[in-house]
Amino acid sequence: MMPFHTRLFGAVVALTLAATAPALSQQLELKIMAPAAPGGGWDQTARAMQQALVAAKIARSIQVTNVAGAGGSVGIAQFVNGAKGDGNQMMVNGFVMVGALAMNKSPVTLEQVTPIARLTEEIQVIVVPANSPLKTAQDLAAAVKADIAKVTFAGGSAGGVDHVMAALFAGTIGADAKKINYIPFSGGGESLAAILGGKVTAGISGMSEYEGQIKSGKLRALGVTSEKRIPGVDIPTFKEQGIDLVLANWRSVVAPPGITPEQRKTLSDAVEKMVKSDAWKDILKQKGWDDAYLSGDAFADFLKKETIRVTDVLKSVGLVKS
Amino acid sequence: METFAALAHGMAVAVQPMNLLYALIGVFLGTAVGVLPGIGPALTVALLLPVTYKLDPGGSLIMFAGIYYGGMYGGSTTAILINTPGESASMATALEGNKMAKAGRGGPALATSAIGSFVAGTIATIGLAFLAPWLVDFAVRFGPEDYFALMCVAFVTVSATFGDSPIRGLTSLFVGLTLGLIGIDKLTGQARLAFGIPELLDGVEVTTLAVGLFALGEALYVASRRHHAEEKIEPVRGSLWMTKEDWKRSWKPWLRGTMFGFPIGALPAGGAEIPTFLSYSTEKRLTKHPEEFGKGAIEGVAGPEAANNASAAGTLVPLLTLGLPTSATAAMMLAGFQQYGLNPGPLLFAERPDLVWGLIASLFIANVMLLVLNLPLVGLWVKLLAIPQPWLYAGILVFATMGTIAAKPSVVELSMLAGFGVLGFLMRRFDFPIAPVVVGLILGPIAESQLRRALAISLGDPLVLLQSSMSATLLGIALIALLAPFVLKGLGRFKASED
Amino acid sequence: MTDLPQGEASRRIDRAGLVIAAALAVLAGVLVWDARQLATTTMYGMGPEAMPVVVAVGLGILAIANLIDALRGNLPPRESADPRAVLLILGGLVLLIAIIGLGGGFILATSALFVTTSAAFGRRAILADSAIALVMSTLIYLAFDRLLTLSLPTGPLERLL
Repeated sequence: MMPFHTRLFGAVVALTLAATAPALSQQLELKIMAPAAPGGGWDQTARAMQQALVAAKIARSIQVTNVAGAGGSVGIAQFVNGAKGDGNQMMVNGFVMVGALAMNKSPVTLEQVTPIARLTEEIQVIVVPANSPLKTAQDLAAAVKADIAKVTFAGGSAGGVDHVMAALFAGTIGADAKKINYIPFSGGGESLAAILGGKVTAGISGMSEYEGQIKSGKLRALGVTSEKRIPGVDIPTFKEQGIDLVLANWRSVVAPPGITPEQRKTLSDAVEKMVKSDAWKDILKQKGWDDAYLSGDAFADFLKKETIRVTDVLKSVGLVKS
Repeated sequence: METFAALAHGMAVAVQPMNLLYALIGVFLGTAVGVLPGIGPALTVALLLPVTYKLDPGGSLIMFAGIYYGGMYGGSTTAILINTPGESASMATALEGNKMAKAGRGGPALATSAIGSFVAGTIATIGLAFLAPWLVDFAVRFGPEDYFALMCVAFVTVSATFGDSPIRGLTSLFVGLTLGLIGIDKLTGQARLAFGIPELLDGVEVTTLAVGLFALGEALYVASRRHHAEEKIEPVRGSLWMTKEDWKRSWKPWLRGTMFGFPIGALPAGGAEIPTFLSYSTEKRLTKHPEEFGKGAIEGVAGPEAANNASAAGTLVPLLTLGLPTSATAAMMLAGFQQYGLNPGPLLFAERPDLVWGLIASLFIANVMLLVLNLPLVGLWVKLLAIPQPWLYAGILVFATMGTIAAKPSVVELSMLAGFGVLGFLMRRFDFPIAPVVVGLILGPIAESQLRRALAISLGDPLVLLQSSMSATLLGIALIALLAPFVLKGLGRFKASED
Repeated sequence: MTDLPQGEASRRIDRAGLVIAAALAVLAGVLVWDARQLATTTMYGMGPEAMPVVVAVGLGILAIANLIDALRGNLPPRESADPRAVLLILGGLVLLIAIIGLGGGFILATSALFVTTSAAFGRRAILADSAIALVMSTLIYLAFDRLLTLSLPTGPLERLL
């Protein structure tokens, strides 16, 4: 997975950090909120941060709190209202929250939080059963253009990343995104059964969910949403097939509104050190997450753009009223 | 053989010291909680669900298996000792078991129940190990329309088994269905019945409903009618162990009970009540001591207990292969699976064979643990019941609310819990069955999602439900099961008016 | 909590039954009202408003069936209930919710519930019960929060531990 020299580099950085860290670690006592129930992706991210920050001696103690509900809508409301100006709190969030806030008509938005950094991302994939006549993304595009209603997409929850991707796919190839026949399933296993059983035309999910089935030949991947091919994976991107569909399911970490620039810098520095630590790299490898570190104004900009893009897509499929 | 290799691997997973410990803790906690009056296996699993939060999926499932068996045995214990079946499946046990206890033969009754559970559980678990993979192939062909039809069958049989008035059973079921509508609609992301309260967007938690209706409702009800009669607890008198004669009269009922329990339990809508009563009536017919029935016949405890436990293993077949919870406890286990992002279903065997075979192996282990733990501890469980009633129920309530406090310590969630407690009290007072509410909450959303998926795929053509031979057959069964009681009642009335 | 006479007289109209029927009808009305607020965005198949309407129709029919049962006095006989005990336990639950909502922590909250429930079942030794409750919930807190690392709400008492 990870080339040897990267690990070596990581180790060197970690050693250097370990030598310089103590001064900082004495002060940092952070609270990280996972706006979801224990066990999910955001909770795992929060706990991975906890583990890495403590292991790399960047913070003295980290407390993870779970505030579950409505794709993070409950959590962010509590975070924005309750932690205002507190430089010792952070919250994990991600792609799904953008859509959830728009759909639930949340009074609190992501514009109110202080962006810290994007941490990880997962590339999305479209698959068909092995015996499907569709061989390439262009075949699928042709089928969608021929009769959009008859092409059924199986994926995750309504308004989630899979749904947004189906709409983007239709929009990119010039079909009416409002007319896509997207069928949400509650779990990867359930949608997988529907795809394997030939009940739906195609399936959409994160790469890791279907990786095993693609490798075993039961599913055929039509395309991935990365800019360039994933190293070691023999699946063409949509882009190289002439469909401009680039998307990733990202997770990030944000701070409360109203913190001082110094507080923001302290948190950003801590996260940057964490991302470069060996402990974090080990966790990424173990969980199969891709590093997508992006910080500062670049991340703030990214967050703004994603919010606009997702909201537009959800409006186009009628999930959010314009 | 592949199954043997897989099972051997599963055994290797389950006998890891930590997993053995989880099984033991599970059986211990399950029995300790399940032995409390009014707390059946479903509630036991519900209460202890948070305990497994921090375990890895493997350890968690193994603990579940222990809790499941422990809770079931605990329910039988109360059925025998104080005539309080922990669940509907222990009702047949209470018939003879409590009579035995009153005659001072509580020891042998508890023993035949424990050993019968062990024998039946072991045989049924072997059945699970060998038949479940075969059922998986079949399960992959299940489409949304077939699932919907299956849910219809489950609805009909479950509601028909609860209570003596179909109107009351259906009323309970529809209250459950209403609760199931609360929250974000899975297919369109729109909020239903949330009234602008963010906490309601995720819907009603099954555990909150079950704990409120069962534990809180029961405590309120018992407290409200305390002035009528104090519950008296019968101590165990005479020999604690089974005599040679008891063994001779028990072993055949154990085997027959297993034969009823496993296949019917494995049927998605079979349930545990039907086999226990079938077993009871069979033993009553076959016994050489018909005069003892109704006064404490050991066959009447041995058979139904075996059937109950075998059907529990049977329930795991549809749960593991179809992802279909056919009992409240199975529904709790499903909640446990989902908590770890695992979806029981056709692919669980393929995706996580280590977990599935580990679970099946741990069922064996849990069974052994149950016997090891409970035979020597019969006397202690009785003492637990001797806690004065005020403290007993106060303790039950503390433990009952703890699950919700730990899972979602919000004022809204706790208020819902209290509200469901009041609902449970009122339903008991006005004689509405409780269980269909939980069933409605669990099955309603699944049935709706599957139907709407089927209709979306068929572009709105309802004939899709009849085009699949499987769903057509299942809908036919559901229709017959729905109409049969009314037809029979009509015939009965017709006959009565002729007399 | 109406005490209904039994036997001969139970054939009369059951007022509680009427309330139940009315409650079911109201519930059906709420479902329809709520379903009307949903946007029909679904392109294919059945929208989110269909199921609530189906359930509402079912509830409506059951309301009528329950009404008929009540008018005929077909409800099973009920024994008298002790409202004081019920109110005591409910008071305990309200206390528990209030204490947790105000950040009083797990131990105080569950102790309050324990004492009121115990009183509802006829105990009068409030002080002794409070002591038992505090010790018990402290032990439960330690076992579950510290040993099983379940996060239970913390208040002033938990912070001392």
